[in-house]
Amino acid sequence: MNVDTLSILFNRVWDDVKVKLRTTTGKAITVGFLLAFVVPLIAGGYQLNVATQALIFILVVTSWNFIAGNFGILTFAHAALFGVGGYSAAILAAEFGIPVVVSVFLAGLVTAAFSLPMAVSLLHLRGAYVAMLTIAYAEIIFSASVILRDITGGPTGYSGFPVPFGGDRVLLYYFVLIVVAVLVALQYLVSINRFGLVARAIRESEEAAQMLGNNTRRYKLAGFVFGSTVAGIAGGLQAYNIRIISPPVLGLERMIEFMAMGIVGGIRSLSGGILGTLVVYGLMEVLRPIGASRLLVWGIVLIVAILYFPNGLIVSKKQLGSVRNRAVEWIWDLF
Amino acid sequence: MVSIELLVQQIINGLFFGGQLALLAVGFTLIWGVARVLNFAHGGVFMMGAYIGAFAIIATDNWLIAIFLGMTVTFLIGLGTEAFLIRPLRGRQEFDIAAIIATLGLWFTLEHSMRLLFTSQQRSVNPITREIWIIQDIVINVNRLLVFLISIFAIGLLFMLIKYTKFGLAVRAAAEDDQTTELMGVDLPRTYAITFGISTALAGLAGVLLGPIFSVYPSVGDRPFLLAFIVVMIGGLGSVRGTLIAALTLAVIRAVALIWTSAEGAMIILFAFMAAVLILSPEGIGGWLES
Repeated sequence: MNVDTLSILFNRVWDDVKVKLRTTTGKAITVGFLLAFVVPLIAGGYQLNVATQALIFILVVTSWNFIAGNFGILTFAHAALFGVGGYSAAILAAEFGIPVVVSVFLAGLVTAAFSLPMAVSLLHLRGAYVAMLTIAYAEIIFSASVILRDITGGPTGYSGFPVPFGGDRVLLYYFVLIVVAVLVALQYLVSINRFGLVARAIRESEEAAQMLGNNTRRYKLAGFVFGSTVAGIAGGLQAYNIRIISPPVLGLERMIEFMAMGIVGGIRSLSGGILGTLVVYGLMEVLRPIGASRLLVWGIVLIVAILYFPNGLIVSKKQLGSVRNRAVEWIWDLF
Repeated sequence: MVSIELLVQQIINGLFFGGQLALLAVGFTLIWGVARVLNFAHGGVFMMGAYIGAFAIIATDNWLIAIFLGMTVTFLIGLGTEAFLIRPLRGRQEFDIAAIIATLGLWFTLEHSMRLLFTSQQRSVNPITREIWIIQDIVINVNRLLVFLISIFAIGLLFMLIKYTKFGLAVRAAAEDDQTTELMGVDLPRTYAITFGISTALAGLAGVLLGPIFSVYPSVGDRPFLLAFIVVMIGGLGSVRGTLIAALTLAVIRAVALIWTSAEGAMIILFAFMAAVLILSPEGIGGWLES
């Protein structure tokens, strides 16, 4: 790579960003990002914790969208890898005395190491078979987190690891905000460049992508490991956010929550992941007073999303119109 | 050293559990084989069967009524799932993935509606019989033996249905080539719906029968479903025979492994085995047997 290709790359990205900033989504993300900086000024205590949690979910959901949306690899191991990141960060900080900020990124590397053999074994599988194999991996990691008491603390979880920034939640919020913003931007850059194009070509037809001379296996491998690394970093942030990491963090139910957020917003784009996280997680927080039965909403949200908004809310203006028309017709039919 | 009695005991326990597991797994593999739906709500339907059975037994104390009600309601759940949840997704580019997501949603909906209605409290249910036979230090729980026999009988009926009836012929044809089958005049949506109903009714039967053994609570279906899932993957998706063999074998392996390890440890072994089978031969042991 020389200076010319770099400048071409830079110009391409810059042109794309200039166009995207003028769209509704672009404006919304810019405004949202700027607003995120003033959140600690107006929200404190519990609300700030919710905001921090929302940012972490945005990171993990966009990274799932990155793998599932771009490549069409419907992985169920993402919550498990998120948990691996969480345990790694906590253990690295507590047992090896590694600084908190560094441990988050090292956790990403540990997660990458976990995801690499998974990615290799997934290369020759398609569609539902990918889901099956990743469920097996997720359940192995989940069960291991329960029985490896000496390492993970067993069913009660791992706690008592160092608190970041002397327990200052505002500083933690800003740290999370910066990390999430940088990694989402990085995923975006990768998606709009050649890598993302080939990934989407693989999703539509792997044979065709191969025929055009792309080493599709290498792309799938890199994409899966990259997305998983981001999930691991998100897991590290999560450990410091809730200060305990226990098996439910990486269970199948958590995976379904991530999927619900990604699918509601729109699996095909990173902005869909952001929107879906805000809508679904926001809904869950609003419904908190009704207790555990709000989990019922996850199920209903998934069903409605897959039936009526298969491409997510982010591209559904037209579909919303058709649903409205159908509802109007249905009401007319009643009379 | 493990005593021979303990080993034999665990093998018998495993075999009994394998029969029940097969009941759950056969329905799961059937609906994949015929309609290419990986029904993640299968454990939820099992749980519904367990609840209906428990209420019927508390009200009437009659097992036939419990089984009849449990199977009827879960059959209707299956019909409804196919008609309202799966049919609208058919024809989409990534149908198998959309169906996974839709049935995952249904699983959550079923489990958490039951939690909302009846809380998370565990309900115990009276077994068919409390009799126990002891043959040379080996304990045989007669209730589990009966449940095993009923399960094998139901699976036998399913085999006959698929092998000897006109409907079974349509099911086998649809599994082979749906478009040609439709051209031959088979009402495909109806075949899918009834197959779905039969599949869920078997899960419902398993739920009714296992209620007394597991006791009944909203997430009672989760672990049996994961085990059935492993069984189906190893036995070969869509292969009813491979599934039956895998269910009995794996349940025995699990029961013997439980002598040395915890339930989670046994899960790791089984899931690792499943991953190995998927990587080496995605069609499972059933596919390998037939090739």
